[in-house]
Amino acid sequence: MNSKDNIQSTNDSSEAAHKKAIISKKIIPYLLLLPVFFYYAVFWLFPVLSGMKEVFTDINGEFTLFSNFKLMLESDLFGEAVFNTATFAAVSVVLQYFLALMLAVLLSMKFRGSKLLMFVSMIPMAITPTAVAIIWKTGLVRDGWINSFLMQLSIIDKPIVFMNSEGLAAVFLIILIDTWTVTPSVMIILIAGLQGVQKELKEAAYLFGANKWRIFKDIIIPILKPSITTSIIMRLIAAIQVWAIAVMVLGYSKVPFLVERIAFYADVVPGVDTSSKIAFTLSFTTTLIVLAATVFYLMASKKRTFSGGEK
Amino acid sequence: MDKLNVIQKTVMTIVLATLVLIVVLPLMFFTTVSFSNAAEMSQFPKSMLPNFNVTVKVVPTEEGEFEVFYDSGEGYTSIITSKRASKLETHFTRQYAVTVPGEQLIEDFSQTLVKGPMEFTYKKDAFYNFKQFFSIVPNASTALKNSIIVSLMTILISLSIGSLAGYAMARYNFKLKRQINVSLLIVRMFPMVGISIPMAILLIRFGLFDTLIGLAFLYSIPNIALTSWITSSIFIGINKELEEASMVFGANNFQTFMRITLPLAFPALAASSMYSFLTAWNDTISALILTNENQTLALVVYKAIGTTSSGIQYAAAGSIVLILPALVFTFIIRKYIGQMWGGVEL
Amino acid sequence: MSYLEIKNLRKKYSKDGPLIIDNLNLSVEKGEFIVFLGPSGCGKTTTIRMIAGLEDVNDGEILIEGVNIIDKKPKDRGVSMIFQSYAIWPHMTVFENIAYPLKLQKVSKAEINKRVKAVAEATDISNLLKKYPAQMSGGQRQRVAVSRAIVVEPKIFLMDEPLSNLDAKLRVSMRTELKNIHNKQNSTSIFVTHDQSEAMSMADRIVVMYKGKIEQIGSPMEVYEDSATKFVAEFIGTPPTNFFKTRIEKIDGVLMAVNSSFKYKIPNSLVKALEKYVGKEVDMGVRPEFIDISPEMEKTEGYICDTNISFVEPQGSHSILITRIGEVEIKIHTVKYMYMKPNTNVALNVKSEKVMFFDCDSTKRIKADNL
Repeated sequence: MNSKDNIQSTNDSSEAAHKKAIISKKIIPYLLLLPVFFYYAVFWLFPVLSGMKEVFTDINGEFTLFSNFKLMLESDLFGEAVFNTATFAAVSVVLQYFLALMLAVLLSMKFRGSKLLMFVSMIPMAITPTAVAIIWKTGLVRDGWINSFLMQLSIIDKPIVFMNSEGLAAVFLIILIDTWTVTPSVMIILIAGLQGVQKELKEAAYLFGANKWRIFKDIIIPILKPSITTSIIMRLIAAIQVWAIAVMVLGYSKVPFLVERIAFYADVVPGVDTSSKIAFTLSFTTTLIVLAATVFYLMASKKRTFSGGEK
Repeated sequence: MDKLNVIQKTVMTIVLATLVLIVVLPLMFFTTVSFSNAAEMSQFPKSMLPNFNVTVKVVPTEEGEFEVFYDSGEGYTSIITSKRASKLETHFTRQYAVTVPGEQLIEDFSQTLVKGPMEFTYKKDAFYNFKQFFSIVPNASTALKNSIIVSLMTILISLSIGSLAGYAMARYNFKLKRQINVSLLIVRMFPMVGISIPMAILLIRFGLFDTLIGLAFLYSIPNIALTSWITSSIFIGINKELEEASMVFGANNFQTFMRITLPLAFPALAASSMYSFLTAWNDTISALILTNENQTLALVVYKAIGTTSSGIQYAAAGSIVLILPALVFTFIIRKYIGQMWGGVEL
Repeated sequence: MSYLEIKNLRKKYSKDGPLIIDNLNLSVEKGEFIVFLGPSGCGKTTTIRMIAGLEDVNDGEILIEGVNIIDKKPKDRGVSMIFQSYAIWPHMTVFENIAYPLKLQKVSKAEINKRVKAVAEATDISNLLKKYPAQMSGGQRQRVAVSRAIVVEPKIFLMDEPLSNLDAKLRVSMRTELKNIHNKQNSTSIFVTHDQSEAMSMADRIVVMYKGKIEQIGSPMEVYEDSATKFVAEFIGTPPTNFFKTRIEKIDGVLMAVNSSFKYKIPNSLVKALEKYVGKEVDMGVRPEFIDISPEMEKTEGYICDTNISFVEPQGSHSILITRIGEVEIKIHTVKYMYMKPNTNVALNVKSEKVMFFDCDSTKRIKADNL
């Protein structure tokens, strides 16, 4: 083969390849996404739809719009569950953000041992919820380590009975445990945000006469606001789904939460027809609430790009 | 910039010390509990640090039996009176986690017949609670194996499907891209419980109910979306010219992906595997709904809390087994989590 | 007494670390435009940050109108600054950005309004006041940074490489504009840059810094034509000064700079100064502009040697010719022979009055004694 032919043939094939490339280039992304579509059609959409079918059919399989919701509303502890979930979500998110912000500001100052401290404060993040529950259960029982500790320090002279807590007190107990677990991860996000604020932005404010507090209030917080907003909503979504700690530490029906009710009807009273209807309807309702929060989140993140607060 | 004054420094030190205490104290006490024997568990107030020795006082009775006294913090109290080796052995094992043969105990105690009341100190079997956990809790060791298998399957499914999608989202422009992105987000936000119950119906239909792969399918649902999210942001960051350079030198698309793109995306893949692992390893509710026999470790431990109210130290030992891999895994790839969250040094 | 006076300034970042600023002395008159010029790491930014109050001073004094300010907070020093990244606060509109320093000074609302509008007028950003930084171009952000800096009416106006983030064309036009604003405001400015053409075109006086020390202070032409040290000669001018390592020898009673490739007769004006160096090594430097070549092989008084032009780099208005003498690559700036073909043999002559000699140890220029 002489060189001229060689060039000719490569030209031809490259042209053909080019044509082929144009066609396949359009398909490639869809090919790559095909497994996801398939997976979610089978394992997500199908269960979701069949779950919805359960919500809108009665025990005999007849269509019904409200009867399952009526069952849910009349079910034991539903009102308490809604109230507790709302209280938990609101209080825990505020408390955790306040603590996390304080710690993030402290830890993002560079001092000796700050890295070690960050490492230590991250530990609760990595602990399995079941284990968290045991840690606190062994602490909260009458002869548990919390009472042992307080008595040995002579802070109290009679053990406190935590496990009998009811109502709001029990909710706050769960909030404290959740705070212990979750605050570090919030803190890490905030530290990332604080480190992301360009040094010169703070220096400029300082140069023009702002003190530490004003720099924090006027510069750092407003700059972090978009990312704080989104992560608060993410936390809120997780907080709505609280249940495991409540059940494991105090037991079913002690502090009812929405998802705790779902687990209760799915785990404790299976087999009874109405209970599965209630479980389906509860999970449908919870999902709607979470999705509402998600939409809220999307709107907030959209606003963030619009205002041009970010680079 | 302004330096901190003395008061500010003091306040800061106090706050940080409190933080350390709040994080470390529960963990310390909890570790103590998981190494405690039954006798220590019934003590109050409990000791703060684990104790690996047991001291008893033995007084010989007129009938030739041995009366064993145990000091639970408020002076010696009589616990058991016996001269039968098997009875003493059982008592020492159950109460003190001291696994010394009964004959040995009798031999030791016999000295008191001559010398009068004496104190004896024995070493505790440090891992007694762990052994107990795996022997008294049904399926605990199978559950550990199951947890590992389910976690690995979840990582595999999420990574293979999710990273393909992530690559598509990062590198190509196509119709409905934004809509697909939003749908992925909604899938991820969808509460796990909401999907677990209807999922049971589906898995029963497929004959996958109470199987590990069935669980892995469920755990992969949020993690495929998460993986594609994480990886797409990393793929965007990987310079496309690097890929093109490799193609110029004759590599095809697949080779390029394997040799260039994948290694560069390693941090993202590591971080998303961690999330997949943690979902599968930590979950209880879905495992509760979707399994009967093939339980995972988290579920077994969870059930142990409910049932063994008297032997919570065994459940505590079980949860140490549960914590350790998650802890190790988190800290091995903590660097990558930091990177993902905008370069925090961890 | 000068307007701004820096005396024996020293700076270390850590106790045992190297001196970042080593005994710096400088006085600036009111209305001057001073440029700190030097390579990165030479301490120019650290110095300006010390004047601003963003960096602690280890030792020495900084006086503004005779008052030592090193213990004062930035806001009490009467300085303002433009940062390299502009440091425009992204969550504030342009108006809010400019108004914030005044707000911190508790200026009344009406007054703030008036002053911001006046400044925006002067910097030509009146139409942008309601916009956010993310919606603006680099040049517009730059103007906002300038406005914010001048709205506080500082005694001294500090600029830390403010043009380095702009594209080349904008950079040149912003130079003129900054200089204009400086003149209009009648302010005293210190400008930090590593770009010598920026320094040359803007400065009243240039402070050339290297390794924490001042190498030379002088007008742009002074530092160019009358470089005080080898570093200044090398750093200023493109292409940089050509250097030869030579030995001063007296051959037949004539003082010569000698190396393995040539013997150069020391010009009369320098003979007296260089006589002390007989037998010693000195660096001989000559700028590309001050080398003449002759394809006709004409030798003048400043004859060095014959050589072969190996490359020609046309620059449009002139060409840079490249040749080798011994081990050294020599660049020649030429207008007359800008169309020369490579591989031409030429005689190389230097303009004797422009040749510089530097002490090898101190790197200082060896100057004619009578000057």
